[in-house]
Amino acid sequence: MQKGSTQKSFLKNPYLQYIFFGIIISLLPVLVNAGILKTSWVGIIGGTIIYAIAALGLNLLLGYSGLISLGTAGFMGLGAYISAYLTGDLGLPWEVGILAAIIIPVIFGLLIGLASLRMEGLYLGIVTLCVSEVLRKTFDELEPITGGFSGKGAEYPTLLGNIVLNQKQTYVLLVVALVLLMMLTHNLTNGQLGRALHAMRGSQVAAQAMGVSLLKYRLIAFSLATAYASLAGALYVHFIKFVYPSTWTLPVSLTILAIIVVGGMRSLYGTFLGAVIVYALPDLLLKRIPVIGDINGLSYVFSGVLIIVVILFYPGGVINIFRDIKKLFVKGSKKEGEV
Amino acid sequence: MSTLIQLLLRSLETGAIYALATLGIIIVFRTNFMINFGQGVMGMFGAYIVTVLFNKMGLPIVLAILVGLVAAVGVGFLVDFIIIRRTKHVTGTGKEIITLGLMMVFLGITPMLFGVDPMRLPKVIENGAFSVGGANLSYNSLLNIILGLGLTIGLFLLLQKTKLGLAIRTTASSEKTARLMGVPTKWVTLFAWALALVLGTLSGAMIAPSTSVTVNLMDSVQVNAFIACVLGGFQTFYGPVIGAYIIAIATNLLSYYVSSVWGTQILYILVIIFIVFKPVGLIGKKTVKKV
Repeated sequence: MQKGSTQKSFLKNPYLQYIFFGIIISLLPVLVNAGILKTSWVGIIGGTIIYAIAALGLNLLLGYSGLISLGTAGFMGLGAYISAYLTGDLGLPWEVGILAAIIIPVIFGLLIGLASLRMEGLYLGIVTLCVSEVLRKTFDELEPITGGFSGKGAEYPTLLGNIVLNQKQTYVLLVVALVLLMMLTHNLTNGQLGRALHAMRGSQVAAQAMGVSLLKYRLIAFSLATAYASLAGALYVHFIKFVYPSTWTLPVSLTILAIIVVGGMRSLYGTFLGAVIVYALPDLLLKRIPVIGDINGLSYVFSGVLIIVVILFYPGGVINIFRDIKKLFVKGSKKEGEV
Repeated sequence: MSTLIQLLLRSLETGAIYALATLGIIIVFRTNFMINFGQGVMGMFGAYIVTVLFNKMGLPIVLAILVGLVAAVGVGFLVDFIIIRRTKHVTGTGKEIITLGLMMVFLGITPMLFGVDPMRLPKVIENGAFSVGGANLSYNSLLNIILGLGLTIGLFLLLQKTKLGLAIRTTASSEKTARLMGVPTKWVTLFAWALALVLGTLSGAMIAPSTSVTVNLMDSVQVNAFIACVLGGFQTFYGPVIGAYIIAIATNLLSYYVSSVWGTQILYILVIIFIVFKPVGLIGKKTVKKV
């Protein structure tokens, strides 16, 4: 009996769950090598992980603090270009590139956090969209650094100066980054920071009355969100190996927003699930059907309809589906849904 | 001097395009309490209908636009009837993500129905120009300027003087109270979506001759329309229109006199600074929050 309960608590340890989750999704290249799945899966799920990382950051901002940002795309692009420029043109190590690609955008994030104290809701959303557009137009024009319209290339990461990765190893690196960030987010949101952000979302006045400094926590929330987004961008450029200015437009920011709304706000697994639904599912399902898969734009229609249907039936996020399934089987369990 | 006049006239033309797109966003925002991220793409869809009617069916351009507008009304009705009506229980951001879903649906349907090749849409009045104070103004530009100003003024008269306008304004100030007072809010939202589609299609048909008709036709118009909304403030119907014209004039002046490459970026940064100092926009009323 004693042994059973310790085993149970061992399985319930969230960190071990994250690691277990990471191991499962990093098995994908093995399945591809064994010929069970197609090679294109690595690219698609890799992209999903990158989107999930950016969405984790936005989840901290929108889910926990209630602050909206439509500037995620701009910061992803900024991270991608900085890392591509430093590692490609200047020949700096990959680690330096990633670090710089996080630090420089965070400075912008801090500025937005400062400005955010003055505005609310939609105004904040569109001001961040403004920032994102300024960045995107700068990618177009700053040709010596960004390569202009024709885009900029980058290589797979080289770890510690001499371990050159290939696509599948880079995929595993993405999984490691995702798992580490999930743990970090778990820690951040379950500690004092999470409580302060929750209070801020509920009521700013009440939060201030209880001694939560709006300035401090808005700055923290925005710098974290930009850090996640720019890291996602930097990983993107080393995984896809190419970056164009025209990628970083409003639809990318909206897709990341859709990921957290579809998956479930304030849920880490929900964020990944949302990324799979919004980003990967249309490609994975439709490309396999012979004739239909070739129709132009069908995957767009599919993801659009999917997003609408999910939000209509699960406004709290798809992650609740598991709770509902559980309710079906375990009769008379606590009715958590009635809040 | 003639350059300045030329720039101002051109700004009035682009301003008209922005103003119509902005009005489409604000009318949906005020009656449905959601930002329609699909406004640009829906306008693009309408412009595609017009282009196909003209290019493939051989309709005269004016007739093509009129039929396109009728189709836009139908699409607007469908959008509201099939989807938006069922979103009453969805919270703020969820509603906006639904408009993103709509945007993706339209983005996908367009190449399925009309093909992937870019198409051309000619001007309504092909040629002819006259000079105003040393600046050239084509008849087509004049038509666009008049359409922009005329439709804006017409809409304000509709909002202020008619019973429908009263219903829209009541719904905008409080949907629940409006329903209690017997305002048919369902019809109001239906009208709002149809109007948004019509305005989007018109702005699409106005900008199409200066570029080619692709799925990205309205991207920059939409971003500028959003920025016009915050510049003018979301609380009124006329603020965003003023914002739209300011953005058009400022873009043209900055790109000509300051820098053709960095003009837009400078403008956006100026807008951000403006919002920091006046967070509710040009004509915004500060809502007093009660604790």
